[in-house]
Amino acid sequence: MSDKPAIRIDRVSKTFRLGDGNELSALVDIDLTIAPGEFVALLGPSGCGKSTILRLVAALEGATAGRVTIEGKAPADLCQSHRLGVAFQDHALLPWLDIEANVALPFHLAGRSVDKAQVKDLISLVGLAGFEKARPKQLSGGMRQRASIARALVLEPEVLLLDEPFGALDAVTRRQMNVELQRIWSRHSITTLLVTHSVDEALFLADRVVVMSGRPGRIILDLPAPFARPRAPSVMRDPAFHDMVDRLTEALEPEGAHA
Amino acid sequence: MTSARSQSFVLGLIGVSLFLIAWEVIGTYRLAGLTWPPLSTVLAFLTTPAKLPLFGRAAAASFTSVAIGYLCGACGGLILALASHLIAPVRPGLDRLVAVIHAIPSIALAPLLIVLASADATPPIISGLGVGYIFYVAATSGLATASATHRDLFAVLGASRFSVTLRLDLPSALPAIASAMKLSVPIAFIGAIIGEWFGASRGLGLLIVSAMQNFQIPLLWSAVLITAVASLAMFALFSLTERLVQERMR
Repeated sequence: MSDKPAIRIDRVSKTFRLGDGNELSALVDIDLTIAPGEFVALLGPSGCGKSTILRLVAALEGATAGRVTIEGKAPADLCQSHRLGVAFQDHALLPWLDIEANVALPFHLAGRSVDKAQVKDLISLVGLAGFEKARPKQLSGGMRQRASIARALVLEPEVLLLDEPFGALDAVTRRQMNVELQRIWSRHSITTLLVTHSVDEALFLADRVVVMSGRPGRIILDLPAPFARPRAPSVMRDPAFHDMVDRLTEALEPEGAHA
Repeated sequence: MTSARSQSFVLGLIGVSLFLIAWEVIGTYRLAGLTWPPLSTVLAFLTTPAKLPLFGRAAAASFTSVAIGYLCGACGGLILALASHLIAPVRPGLDRLVAVIHAIPSIALAPLLIVLASADATPPIISGLGVGYIFYVAATSGLATASATHRDLFAVLGASRFSVTLRLDLPSALPAIASAMKLSVPIAFIGAIIGEWFGASRGLGLLIVSAMQNFQIPLLWSAVLITAVASLAMFALFSLTERLVQERMR
């Protein structure tokens, strides 16, 4: 079973119909396979459709052509069986619930009784022990993102989707969160799709970095990130890491940018 | 309490005092004619032991109408708002129906209701219609305030329609509903008083109309004062509730 892909994006295109009757081609012929337990980062300039891919995998959008499957089934099936975890750039914590209740929310939505030990474990795993009763607005941006990652992991999902989860954080906090996420992910090894526009982040976290070009979005590069896990922050100072950052940064530059 | 808040409290207190003093002065020197009694005269009349049963009966009748109208209107408005939220096809129709009912002036509706229902049922019905409208409008817009990201989150987590309503839409709507609770208070009183004008057997509205027709100036002002103080007190109480809810939910 392990050679069966966890996520299969099979020649998917996505066209949005705009209000003025025109059509916008967001994705063209995207073909991507993610193996079970693999961490793939989708890297691209803003507006290249990388978030659209994530939304297709999350069953929040439907493909115009082609097919997205998770373990051979439609993504919506995975949502219905509560086996998908997600964290967005906007932490999306509920402001009226404390951190503990926010992290426990997926249990309620899945109609399961709350596993208090699991909630407690995850809160301490993301470094929020002692803040269980705090409200989201009392926490810093980084702490809110930690809580939203704990919430994404609490049901031990098959697939974890991360849509620029640290995009709104400052550079220092962001790097620190990357180190934390790497540590957490090493504990769980869930099939993960990360959408980001940060080259360092993609390379540090993922097993494979997929680079997309803008409008319409297509895949232009697919590189493994061959760094041993668990990865220490010192990996980012490795010359091999720097070489790959350069390659990926170059690939990200829009065609004709220098013309 | 912040200094800004205590400052506005003191300023408010000064404003109310100035208003009450102006009332007294205008009445004492008859600056606005004979129909403007000084506050002290009204208060003396109001506290005459012989008059207490009269005011008590009238206030009890009116406040009962206000309470029934308020509760039924609030429940009705909320239930209709939930129906329009959950059953998309009925939404445009319900919106229009509620708007049409609201567009009929209650003055025109009251005589009709007296013929259709009874004189004593009219005050709570008019009151309830006004309150129901406020709750419906506030709750329908409140139920739609949850952010797109929150909706996406609930969808990805496989939340049922019921869970989304209970755990996302309703909590998001609470601040708007708390505002409706406050704004409905004067509407509930107006509805009850107007309803009583058209022939209720007792109530502050009836007292106001008969005192006016019989030129019983202190009685008229007393009835108005009771209504105003009750409405303001309830309004103040629900303002406080609104603030607490908004602090809690945001």
